[in-house]
Amino acid sequence: MTDLDELLPAIAAGDAEAFGRWLAAAEPGLRRSLRGFATQVDTEAVLQEGLLRVWQIAPRVTPDGKGNSLLRVAHRIVRNAALDEARRMGNRMESAAEELDPEAITVAEPDPWLRELIEACFEALPPTPKKLLGMRLEASGGVHDKVLARRAKKKLNTFLQAITRAKKLLARCLEGKGVSLEAS
Amino acid sequence: MNDDTLIELASGAFRERDRRTGRIVPSAAWMDLDADGREALFEATGQSRALEAALDPRGLSATARAVLARIQGA
Repeated sequence: MTDLDELLPAIAAGDAEAFGRWLAAAEPGLRRSLRGFATQVDTEAVLQEGLLRVWQIAPRVTPDGKGNSLLRVAHRIVRNAALDEARRMGNRMESAAEELDPEAITVAEPDPWLRELIEACFEALPPTPKKLLGMRLEASGGVHDKVLARRAKKKLNTFLQAITRAKKLLARCLEGKGVSLEAS
Repeated sequence: MNDDTLIELASGAFRERDRRTGRIVPSAAWMDLDADGREALFEATGQSRALEAALDPRGLSATARAVLARIQGA
């Protein structure tokens, strides 16, 4: 088992790069843990809010010797953030809360082979979808699609349709190589 | 906007912040989706994050990069 607590001292000391390594491994499992909330809250917003709280609380987390202490704390933080948001929106979330399973939280490992395949399929995209998907990827969640569409001199609908098309083409290319791009 | 474009819009990692509370606010596109659309969005978002992470040299998705940007900009 990968124990992400080896990053905890650096994260607690304010090392954002170490937190980035922790995020790369921890995010997919934390996202999956919100599956039961998908219809009740915007899980992307909840996850980002929860991850910011994890960063803030990390200096106060002490490893308990069982491994992945910060990941388990993060799971509780993200779950509570989802419950808070569901209540704020007037929803009752008992069933979704029961579906969350701390044991289902696993650590994602990088896959250089998959990265090579995706890069090859990305490079093979037609020019416009490739350019627009590239803009979305480069923006890294920091720029609204409305702004990206304006920069690309496209209507928002056209921009979004091109991104969808690019992803479909990418998925088809990957399927041709025997890979299904599931959320890891 | 139809469901496909709403899903594409909400599957991006960009989220606005409430200027008064500082809270990250839900996507307006998410609000406009029905339950089936939100289920489809959850799957599409997971796939997008997996794609972004696989293409990033540090293995970071757009979510992770957005969170790091907020931390480093705070």
